[in-house]
Amino acid sequence: MRKAIAFVVCMALGVLLAAQVHAAAPLELTFWGGWTGPDGDVMRAMVDQYNARHPDVQVTLTTLQWTPLFDKFLTSMRAGEGPDLMAMHPQDTAQFIEGGLLEPLTTFGSDVEVKAGDYDKNAWGYSSYKGTQYALPLDFHMHGLYYNVDLFKQAGLDPANPPTTGNALIDAARRLTIDAAGRHPGDPGFDAKNVKQYGLAFPNNHHALYIWFALLYQQGGGFSISGTQVNFDDGQGIAAWKWVEDLIFTHQVVPVGESNPAQDFLTGRTAMLIDGPWQMPAMQKQQGLNWATAPFPSVFGRPAVWGSGHILTIPKQRDRAKQVATLALAQWVVRNSDFWATSGNIPVFRLAAETDRFRRLKGRAAFVSMLPYEVILPNIVKSAQVFSAAAPSPIVQAAQAATLRNEDPATIVRTLRQRIDSVLAAP
Amino acid sequence: MANLVRSVAAPAPRTRARDQAAARYLFLVPYLIVFLLFRFGPIAGGWLISLTRWNLIGSPRWIGVANYRALWHDSLFWVSVKNTLAFTAMAGPMLILGGLALALLVDQPLRGRYLARVLIFAPYAVMSAVVGVLWNWLYDTNFGIINYYLSLLALPSVPWLINEHVALVAIVLTTVWWTVGYNMVIFLAGLQEIPTELHEAAIVDGATFWQRFRSITLPLLTPTTYAVVILTLINTGQVFDQIYVMTAGGPGTATLTLVQYMYYQAFQTYNLGYGAAVAYATFAVLLAVTLVVHRLFRREAAA
Repeated sequence: MRKAIAFVVCMALGVLLAAQVHAAAPLELTFWGGWTGPDGDVMRAMVDQYNARHPDVQVTLTTLQWTPLFDKFLTSMRAGEGPDLMAMHPQDTAQFIEGGLLEPLTTFGSDVEVKAGDYDKNAWGYSSYKGTQYALPLDFHMHGLYYNVDLFKQAGLDPANPPTTGNALIDAARRLTIDAAGRHPGDPGFDAKNVKQYGLAFPNNHHALYIWFALLYQQGGGFSISGTQVNFDDGQGIAAWKWVEDLIFTHQVVPVGESNPAQDFLTGRTAMLIDGPWQMPAMQKQQGLNWATAPFPSVFGRPAVWGSGHILTIPKQRDRAKQVATLALAQWVVRNSDFWATSGNIPVFRLAAETDRFRRLKGRAAFVSMLPYEVILPNIVKSAQVFSAAAPSPIVQAAQAATLRNEDPATIVRTLRQRIDSVLAAP
Repeated sequence: MANLVRSVAAPAPRTRARDQAAARYLFLVPYLIVFLLFRFGPIAGGWLISLTRWNLIGSPRWIGVANYRALWHDSLFWVSVKNTLAFTAMAGPMLILGGLALALLVDQPLRGRYLARVLIFAPYAVMSAVVGVLWNWLYDTNFGIINYYLSLLALPSVPWLINEHVALVAIVLTTVWWTVGYNMVIFLAGLQEIPTELHEAAIVDGATFWQRFRSITLPLLTPTTYAVVILTLINTGQVFDQIYVMTAGGPGTATLTLVQYMYYQAFQTYNLGYGAAVAYATFAVLLAVTLVVHRLFRREAAA
């Protein structure tokens, strides 16, 4: 009998203990993002900090390259196993929203504490779709011009006055391009097959198309998609590709088919680089590299630069408590995005962009100054098909026809238009 | 169970034979279940998906053979067929003849042959992603060690992975380095099954190495060669990993192969139905090539 009583008491204690443990078990949240470089480490550090300060919540960050991440997102959502917080870009949302995968922020009512007014004015608009807010903007990233201060001095250029126009860029790049005998492009006997140092470099993948995209806006035009048609001006498109091709094949200041432009800049083989702010952590780490940044040059008069950004979305799911906790997490990340800025990305949350911690970061000012001129890709349902960064996609085909093959700009423009239109027309 | 008991009790020859047949199938069941579930199911499912339009977000819609009709007019598809055949035509012979040559070499009673076997086979054990990253460094136009050695020999540097005429060749060389050891091992096993008496007798009769190779080794190796040729053709026809890591199909479409294109359609642009159609077209191409080779071997065997 006594044994029986002891058993019952033990059981009761056990149940009580279990209930106690259950109450203390933190809410588990999953957070997915395509940050596979130094940015992933920064976000992981932020998540660790969040977990340490919020014992009731346990966030797990998963990072994969964007394309496989979106595959995983689509298939997991079908299986009801999606993430609680999902990062993406403004131009990615249409496909997921039309597929009914994302929760509009309006459903959270007063739980949404960061508002339009807290942000850079473009950023908030970019993360809405058809008038409904679907995401919290986190950062902006756009093309900028990196330059090697030491090589500038060696070439007799003033590092305090980096090129701001297309012609100034070509002129500086020519003086910074040196063959084995110390000659520059345009000098008699310049040996293009034996160049020791190139003036300028930029990626020859989809980013080359982004440069072209910005140059359309610099000419007062634009790039949009309506229904089954892509809209841009052929003349401006041809002029833009011609300028890009001339840099490589006429002025010979950009190497043909460079496999890793950022790496070549880090090691001083190229003196200038057009790329995004995500390269800054690597620049800071590179010993002996004296680098600086400048705004993306205005080639055709008006300032305009390709850009995008990271936004935080909350996927649809049954567990409302999790969604609310996820919103709190997302708002915390946004409010502390001055720390996220160490990954190179430019925070769009005003208070974060105004902290000393952010302002002290090297090289960011040039990117911040371009915020008003940032132009982003249209957010369309078929963005994966039209704007894929994979080799067969229409935009990469066009970029490589220009940067690797020096194809006739009129042909590139015509083919690009045909390819995009046929993707759009496909059911 | 009752059947088995009864068959023991009353061993009528006919029922016993039938029971034995049933038992045989019973033993096959575990394998068949796994095969049907994880092999045949997806294969048949893939065929059904190839007859739909499905963008992964929505639901599939039946469209009959429209995907295949679109494929016929798709220039990127034909580019990928051409690249796949070119890759197979280059890598295939190098892998088969190279594997055979290496097997013959390490089959000789030379010192260090065991070490050589391990060293030649070792790359095959390396993960494809590692192979891709490694060779990206080796092939780098500006800093790569291959171009460095070429420059020491006063040869011009080769833009390995960024020139549209060279990229596929570069991938072929990587693939040969990576997988030739596998063919070598199969050939080696085949070589060691050839009775040594035949060679000894031939040597006594004064046959040279080449005579022995042509009249003894090669004919007796035919079953092995057949297996190696078919496996190599199928593997090269399905090339994917190293291209995905090294060039992702570029520059331009220079290394866009069938499986690469399938991946692009299905998982990079979410045209699941169209991607499945590319997969079945790939199957058709490989089947055609395999049948031709099969014929050739049959004729050889008959001759």
